[in-house]
Amino acid sequence: MKKYILYITVMVAVIAAFVVVFNFFPRSEYSELERRELTKRPEFSFEALKSGEYTKGVSSWYSDTEPFRDEFMTLSMQVRAMRALQVGAEEEQINYIAAEPDPELSEQSSESNISPISSVSPISPISPIASESSLEQSEPDLEDRTKITNNGIFIVGRAPNARALMAYRGKAGGGSYARVVNTYKEKFEDVNIYCMIIPTAVEFYCPERAKSATLPESATIDSLYNKLLPSVRQVRLLPVLAAHTDEPIYLRTDHHWAPLGAYYAAQELCRVARVHVPQLAEFEEQVTHRFVGSMYGFSRDISIKQSPEDFIYYVPTNVTYTTTYTIYEIDSAYQVVKEYRPRQGEFFHHFKDGSGLAYCTFMGGDTKITKVETSTKNGRKVLILKDSFGNALPGYLFGSFEEVHVIDGRYFTKNMVDYVSQNGITDIVFANNVFKAYAGGKQYLKFLTQHGSGIYTPRPQPKDSVVVQPDSMQTIIADTISADRTDTLTEVQNGTIFAADSLNNEQTNNKEQTEIIE
Amino acid sequence: MVFSDLFFLFVFLPAVAICYLLAAWLDKSVLSTPLRKSFIARNSILVIFSLIFYAWGEPVYVLLMLACVFLTYLSGRIIGAGGNYKKPGLVFGLVCNIGILSIFKYSSMLVQTLNHFGLDVPDPKISLPIGISFYVFQSISYLVDIYRGDSPVQKNFLRLLLYISMFPQLIAGPIVRYGRVAEELNNRHVSAQDMAEGMQRFMLGLGKKVILANQFSELATQFMGGFSESTATTAGAWIGVVGFSLQIYFDFSGYSDMAIGIGRCLGFHFNENFNHPYICDSITDFWRRWHISLCSFFRDYVYIPMGGNRRHQVLNICVVWFLTGLWHGADWTFAMWGIYFALIVLFEKYVYLKIKPRIWKPFQHIYALMIIIIGRVLFYFDDLSTVGQFYKTLFGGASSTDFVAEAAILNNFWLWVIGIVCCLPLIDWSKQLLGKITGVDSSANNSITTAFQIVASIAILVLSVALLVGATNNAFIYTRF
Repeated sequence: MKKYILYITVMVAVIAAFVVVFNFFPRSEYSELERRELTKRPEFSFEALKSGEYTKGVSSWYSDTEPFRDEFMTLSMQVRAMRALQVGAEEEQINYIAAEPDPELSEQSSESNISPISSVSPISPISPIASESSLEQSEPDLEDRTKITNNGIFIVGRAPNARALMAYRGKAGGGSYARVVNTYKEKFEDVNIYCMIIPTAVEFYCPERAKSATLPESATIDSLYNKLLPSVRQVRLLPVLAAHTDEPIYLRTDHHWAPLGAYYAAQELCRVARVHVPQLAEFEEQVTHRFVGSMYGFSRDISIKQSPEDFIYYVPTNVTYTTTYTIYEIDSAYQVVKEYRPRQGEFFHHFKDGSGLAYCTFMGGDTKITKVETSTKNGRKVLILKDSFGNALPGYLFGSFEEVHVIDGRYFTKNMVDYVSQNGITDIVFANNVFKAYAGGKQYLKFLTQHGSGIYTPRPQPKDSVVVQPDSMQTIIADTISADRTDTLTEVQNGTIFAADSLNNEQTNNKEQTEIIE
Repeated sequence: MVFSDLFFLFVFLPAVAICYLLAAWLDKSVLSTPLRKSFIARNSILVIFSLIFYAWGEPVYVLLMLACVFLTYLSGRIIGAGGNYKKPGLVFGLVCNIGILSIFKYSSMLVQTLNHFGLDVPDPKISLPIGISFYVFQSISYLVDIYRGDSPVQKNFLRLLLYISMFPQLIAGPIVRYGRVAEELNNRHVSAQDMAEGMQRFMLGLGKKVILANQFSELATQFMGGFSESTATTAGAWIGVVGFSLQIYFDFSGYSDMAIGIGRCLGFHFNENFNHPYICDSITDFWRRWHISLCSFFRDYVYIPMGGNRRHQVLNICVVWFLTGLWHGADWTFAMWGIYFALIVLFEKYVYLKIKPRIWKPFQHIYALMIIIIGRVLFYFDDLSTVGQFYKTLFGGASSTDFVAEAAILNNFWLWVIGIVCCLPLIDWSKQLLGKITGVDSSANNSITTAFQIVASIAILVLSVALLVGATNNAFIYTRF
């Protein structure tokens, strides 16, 4: 009898404590960890009650806005991390290094590397280099430590140096994107058109064992370049970046590349464009310490949280420049609802140490047209058509072009033909990541024909481009960085994609906007 | 609303507890007479919260449930009138209940099947009301039991409504027999032991669901959801189907534990629904351990009335299993799943059980588990072509393994170990062991047990809450049936 009463008393006390905390403590509104606004309490209406939406909303609001949400989430991730078998104690690693590489594994991976390329383009001087260098990269102990999270993200290595990679699932393809670029060339005969496809980290840092679970991006990139008109200038990044894989050219904890990777890409662009090639000596190094990027939210793996890195970017010192932003306001569905008048602002926005939004250093995000007038006088005016990967490029080009314009593929309401002629653009660079290129980039075609007055024009979302091949969770997540709504953390539920408006760019946009406008 | 929802745990359940205690006070101090204990306030509170609980997920279909209970009540009263009214009353009640079930659960399947054979019938697109299979079956059990005279007719509508709609077992069982709780509807007592054991049971179920089933569901989804033959591997398919088998066990038995636990705390003693099914050594044995309340329902209300093992037993077995399959879902894959088990049970009856004593024990278990796991494939997919592809992958029609499959084992290694070990009757074993060491009911035994129970319950609660924050896919599988 006594033992039952003891048990009941203790449990009632514990549960009562939970009840008090969960119902009477201030609720969370914003998750630092996932970088998103949490669910709002639903509006009551009889209709919503009848359909069950209201009660469903209350339940998800309640469980989404827990007091101490991030603390519980961290605990949950720590517990989930304990599920893994921790192999590879120090001694075992040494044995592993001494061991011969598994012939079966390397055979498999070389197969997967070669077959798509040879079937598409016999001329591929790049891919062997890329795969060779990644071979060197994947040290045996990393092989041993690679794991794959349940939503298909590879975690390579361990804290504090873990790296998250998003598998690539695109096949050769790329024809639709090549047609877009070619159309621009046909439309703007007198303008130099450049095509720069930006590979992602998985192309360089994927350990051998994990290669069977991803596809080589070089296949898509090569096939795409082969479909371009000869008059389109190709900025081939694979060999350039492959030569620097031992430097931090990609962020370990974010799905973007690092500013250093963009620096080598910018050099290559300037070589192809025959303008001044920037050198690091012309820049001042700035750092945001303890950066943990988007892959934490994507993978929900604690080792990424425990692997912060330095976000190092480079500010030009020997040119003067003024930056003018035309900022778009977007709604929760990523539709442009308002365009602000052009205003001057800073090109670089420094984020304080520990901020997870540091990739927004460049221009503060995506939802704007950026125009930079520089002290360089060579008559060259470049327009960059980009996704968020492209944001890291323009900062290196101020010493090479008279004007640098940056337009995001998702947010542009004007007419492109008018824009190019009014601004006297001489060079147009397509700078998108390979996921985006594989998805087609059709929205750039619309820019040519739309009659934007600058005020809100509704842009229907190309829904079919969101999911390329919805055959697995992994693909869907990978596709989200190719989708129109780049950079938004998505939740996959029952095969449907819900954009849980999240990542860096959109978040800061709103904050930056007010700052700049004021 | 589901049990493993934070809103349920920390808003609904505390609200029920507080209101129920107030109602108990009201019953005792105001409504009771020295001769008769009142349960009106307590029963009313339970009914109100049960209706809220159901309406939370099905704001419109709650009316359907009320209608179902009312019709059952009516036919119960007709049966109660006795004499010539007895049989028509039963028939009326059964027609109403089975009719409701057919319309809301099987009409889509029927229409699709007819369309498949070339008829052009418009699909009425009726969505399935949560838990309809459970509450309709409870109504049927009530009607048959009072018709047979096993239990008295319930003349009080509130009590019948409470029996059928009681929120712990409303949407996913166990299917409580009327006779089991008839007494407790009028008069029940909650001892400290009931309360403590009920809470422990609830925590155990919560842990099974949130800590185990939800994690295994990720693995099942990874390897079975959106299955595509081109990328699948044999190892991956096995991981998926074993993960799903563990998921469905912990999911459903966890739900039953939580239901039984809440019931205990309210003074009801529901019947057990599981008895460690995965330690079975034959499929016949398995079905005595898995979803016991459903199997005994079909045994008592279909199999035995049809003649049981006295007349055309093979037919009876086939019918019962076909219905069991169909009960789980309005889909031909479920029917096939039922027939699959009918054939196995027949095989065991005429062959396996006769030679079983000569088979080495471990082989008996391996055989039974293989049959169960292979059957789960039919349970998971709802179209036959995917089922075929999956079986092909399972039995070597794909590359054997890959990095993803290996990772699923290594990265979830301890989850697999704990999941498999928890299929064993650990609690019974440790109680026996402790009893041997310290002596049954000694003070040392009691202190160790209580200390362990407190620590384990708190650990489960904290862990479950942490895992539930940010969980996306949390519904119970059996609420779909």
